[in-house]
Amino acid sequence: MSIELIIQVIAALMLGIGGIFAIIGGIGLMRFPDVFTRLHAGSITDTLAPLLIIGGLVLLVGFDLLTFKLLAILFFLLFTTPVASHATARAALAAGVQPLGEDTRGTGASTSKS
Amino acid sequence: MKDNSILVIVARFLIPLVMLFGLYVQFHGEYSPGGGFQAGVLFAAAWILFVLIYGLETGLRVIPLRVIYSLGCLGVLLYCAVGLMGVILGGRFLDYQPLLATPQAAQQAGIILVEFGVGVTVASVVMMIFLQFARRRAQSQAAGLELDQEQDRS
Amino acid sequence: MVLLVLLLVVGTAVVLTRDLLKATMLFAIYSLTIAGLFVILDAGDVALTEAAVGAGISTILILATLALVPAREHRQRGHNRPALLIVFVTGAALVYAVSDLPEFGSADNPVHQHVGPYFIEQTYPDMGIPNMVAAVLASYRSIDTMGEAIVILTAGIAVFALLSVPPRRRQRAPDAKTRSRDEG
Repeated sequence: MSIELIIQVIAALMLGIGGIFAIIGGIGLMRFPDVFTRLHAGSITDTLAPLLIIGGLVLLVGFDLLTFKLLAILFFLLFTTPVASHATARAALAAGVQPLGEDTRGTGASTSKS
Repeated sequence: MKDNSILVIVARFLIPLVMLFGLYVQFHGEYSPGGGFQAGVLFAAAWILFVLIYGLETGLRVIPLRVIYSLGCLGVLLYCAVGLMGVILGGRFLDYQPLLATPQAAQQAGIILVEFGVGVTVASVVMMIFLQFARRRAQSQAAGLELDQEQDRS
Repeated sequence: MVLLVLLLVVGTAVVLTRDLLKATMLFAIYSLTIAGLFVILDAGDVALTEAAVGAGISTILILATLALVPAREHRQRGHNRPALLIVFVTGAALVYAVSDLPEFGSADNPVHQHVGPYFIEQTYPDMGIPNMVAAVLASYRSIDTMGEAIVILTAGIAVFALLSVPPRRRQRAPDAKTRSRDEG
């Protein structure tokens, strides 16, 4: 049980689980009824899956220049994916899509301050 | 969208990063995949992101309209000027040999200048196309004309 | 292989859908899939250009155009049978011609015989740069790239010429508008 074997097994597990999360996010994107619930499914899994996949790749590569490039890509993705879903949610709210649910109390875009 | 603090903060982080990466792709076009076309598109995308967040007038104050028009033509003129330098210094059109002393340095200098011209042209053309569309929509709304989509929404 | 199947599915969906916003998003997915295919075929420059231009700028510009036009495509009435026959015959002839091409990527293709080995061997001694694509684009075939830059500038000038005239109020007959709204 050398240390490389353990690292490779952990990296393979992270890659596999990242892929499974991406597929689950895709299924959720299709099956949920509303824009906002679909955004919830899509953005959370879309942020977690690259985190796991790139983490697995970093474990496989070791400590090289390639590690910093992969971490830069991960940093960029972590910044832009939640902002993109936030912008989509604001656009949907501004277009007048009402969230599903029995007790929506008029959540208009004019009342939110940020 | 400029009073939405989340978008403003992330854009303030991202726009210089995208521009820097565009310049990196431009000048490393000889060692890694890259070159003029990709770099021009990346630079224009950073400017378009700025316009989407801060508005078209602020975007046009950062890079004025005359600058965009003239840079588009200056890029192609730089390309042709490098070609004519080859003719003036004794070779054929777009011959990089007479530019510098050693043949390898001359080729590299010619390639860098030519790709820079292409990058400048592509960036300014993409910026110009986007701002023409954006101004068209603003002009239609200001003139009070109903847009086609509001009539055809059945 | 999976990417090719995805490409076929997305391409068919782009043609069949009539909502223009969906078609735009599907076109962005199409460009990204093609960029992935280019990476698998070891073409780095082309993949970067396709991802940047197709999935990035092209989507933004089509969305900017969609802000100015109706949201759905008009339904086309009837079938054009001679056109369908011509397209079918031409497509069948092209597919038959593909079976006559040499094997994809084998080393003794005619494509790889004449200037390909010259470029591969002589780029680094001639120019000292390792990127062969940039060397071919900017130095060996430099006039073509000048033509490409001029074409890009001409496209920009054409868009400027079309859109710089301020919009005027168009005279529209009201009964023609209601008739097309009933059909579409």
